[in-house]
Amino acid sequence: MRFSDTMLGAMLLVFGLAVGIYSQTFPAIPGQRYGAAAFPTAIAIGFVGCGLVLLVRGFRAAPFPLITRTEWTRKPGAMPAILVTILCVVAYIFFARHLGFIPISILILIVLFRMLRVPWWQTLMFAFAAAFVCDFVFRSILLVPLPQGFMPRLPW
Amino acid sequence: MNAILAAFELVFTVDVLLTLISAALFGLLVGAVPGLTATMATALLVPLTFFMDPIPAVGAMVTCAAMAIFAGDIPGALLRIPGTPASAAYVDEAYAMTRKGEAEKVLGACVVFSAIGGLFGTVVLIFAAPALAEIALKFSSPEYFWMALLGLTCAAFIGASSPIRGMVSLLIGLLISTVGLNNPAGVPRFTFGSTDMLAGIDFIPAMIGLFAVSEVLRTIAAGAPPWDSMQTKVGNIFRDWGAMIRTYWRQQVRGNVLGTAIGVLPGAGADVAAYVSYAISRRLSRNPEKFGTGHVEGVIESTSANNSSLASAWIPALVFGIPGDTITAIVIGVLYVKGINPGPTLFLFNPQTIYAVFLIFILANLLMVPLGWLVIKLARHLLRTPRRVLMPMILIFCIVGAFASNNAAYGIVLMLGFGVLGFLMEENEIPIAPCILGIVIGPILERNFITTMIKSDGAVTAFFERPIAAALGAVVVIIWLSLILGAWRRRSANEQTS
Repeated sequence: MRFSDTMLGAMLLVFGLAVGIYSQTFPAIPGQRYGAAAFPTAIAIGFVGCGLVLLVRGFRAAPFPLITRTEWTRKPGAMPAILVTILCVVAYIFFARHLGFIPISILILIVLFRMLRVPWWQTLMFAFAAAFVCDFVFRSILLVPLPQGFMPRLPW
Repeated sequence: MNAILAAFELVFTVDVLLTLISAALFGLLVGAVPGLTATMATALLVPLTFFMDPIPAVGAMVTCAAMAIFAGDIPGALLRIPGTPASAAYVDEAYAMTRKGEAEKVLGACVVFSAIGGLFGTVVLIFAAPALAEIALKFSSPEYFWMALLGLTCAAFIGASSPIRGMVSLLIGLLISTVGLNNPAGVPRFTFGSTDMLAGIDFIPAMIGLFAVSEVLRTIAAGAPPWDSMQTKVGNIFRDWGAMIRTYWRQQVRGNVLGTAIGVLPGAGADVAAYVSYAISRRLSRNPEKFGTGHVEGVIESTSANNSSLASAWIPALVFGIPGDTITAIVIGVLYVKGINPGPTLFLFNPQTIYAVFLIFILANLLMVPLGWLVIKLARHLLRTPRRVLMPMILIFCIVGAFASNNAAYGIVLMLGFGVLGFLMEENEIPIAPCILGIVIGPILERNFITTMIKSDGAVTAFFERPIAAALGAVVVIIWLSLILGAWRRRSANEQTS
């Protein structure tokens, strides 16, 4: 998905204005002219400036659709693949604590491997191996407290 | 002389040498895993150092950090995923070289110039520590403001084809850096009621998202095709060393000097050194058009800079107890725990400890060549794995890396958000690197701007009143004027031809 200069310029202009207006709600440092709002306001002005430059550039150039679909989006299955990948991470965020790192990782890996047409035997082998190796390296060696879930504590 | 002999006795023991080699391998492996930074590797070592004597403890951290910074180049060159932020500046260049079938050349350059850079920084650390630290100590908020602005100005050069898109990326990074309570006024900004966001946007998940997750999304969207025209075998990495050193010795020296200078400044570390060096390399190159297409020049200059800054970051840390970067900030904590209080008295009362640290720096950089070669040989097996198998596994690594940054699911949420943002940015040809630089330098810029304004009671002239600040300010103004003038000239030339 690619935005034209006009579209990107308009988006940045609106975003910059929104940031600038919202920044004015930050309280000042008592007795000082510059406070929490100064830096975000400067950034907002920058966004507005870039937006205006892109808008002018867009108007000067030959007419161009506001949004164009890039080549990969026309491939069958490309958009669902992105969506499934994002949903896998969302599923990890919501279910890892209850299911535990190893089960949820195996599930995510199986879904993604199968989506990418990895043969079943490789899917299962890599999914289990990756989840257990990851758990060993991060939980046992690097002492990262990965969620345990309903999994019993492994002997290592 | 007795102190130097005592230092040799402290370092050349079996225990210390074994600790150094183990820490080196640990640093190489952590640095080579995308998303795990040199800072994270050092932080993970801290609990282990509690069980060590002072010299092996400090030595382990020095060696681990140096190796991790170098190892960050390996996944950068082979997979376009920087292992550490310090490799992010030139990751596209290194990856483009791998695509051209020059993986051994770029990885060889990374090994040799990282090692030389580290040794250069160490020599400066040994001979010029007190003098250089004194200069940095004279800096006040206006000087830091100009240095930060100089870094951000250089970020516009990194943004490849379109400066305006580079600017947009930079502004996104700066805006991200304003989130949370960490601002001069101490009020929550852009947190929208979230308690997690009060602490700000953690840099590690943001980097994993912007670089790694966006790459995973892009590859999966394309159906994870096999590596196309990709070099699957890394040949003799030592082959091009002589030619590269002869051809690019100027770039190497410039990178070393700049990296050392940036490293010595408190707060600016290896990542800033690499970004600024890459930008300067492109500006001063005879072949700037080759940058971005797989040209080794910029890689040499920035990889020389990031490793030399690592050593010089110890100058203010050891002499004045002020951390030069995030890694030395962690090390200073360990030094206090071990009873080695950093400060000028350390040189007077405990010189053998200082010399031992210097010796370890030299050893670490010499170890980098054989161990680096070993890890590169192992890393090439990554490319034999089909991408459709590798990408889901990298996603799991990313999730764990983002989680490990603060042991909370918040890191994964950030990672996902930044992954989608990075994906959309690249779709619209907005470069990612300036955004990262904006996140790193944003707080430094704001803090020093507000501090200067408060000190001067709102007078803008305060930014030019001190001699060093005036000189730095003049440099920034000249760069901006030359940029505007260049754009104006190009436009009038275009109008004339049309």
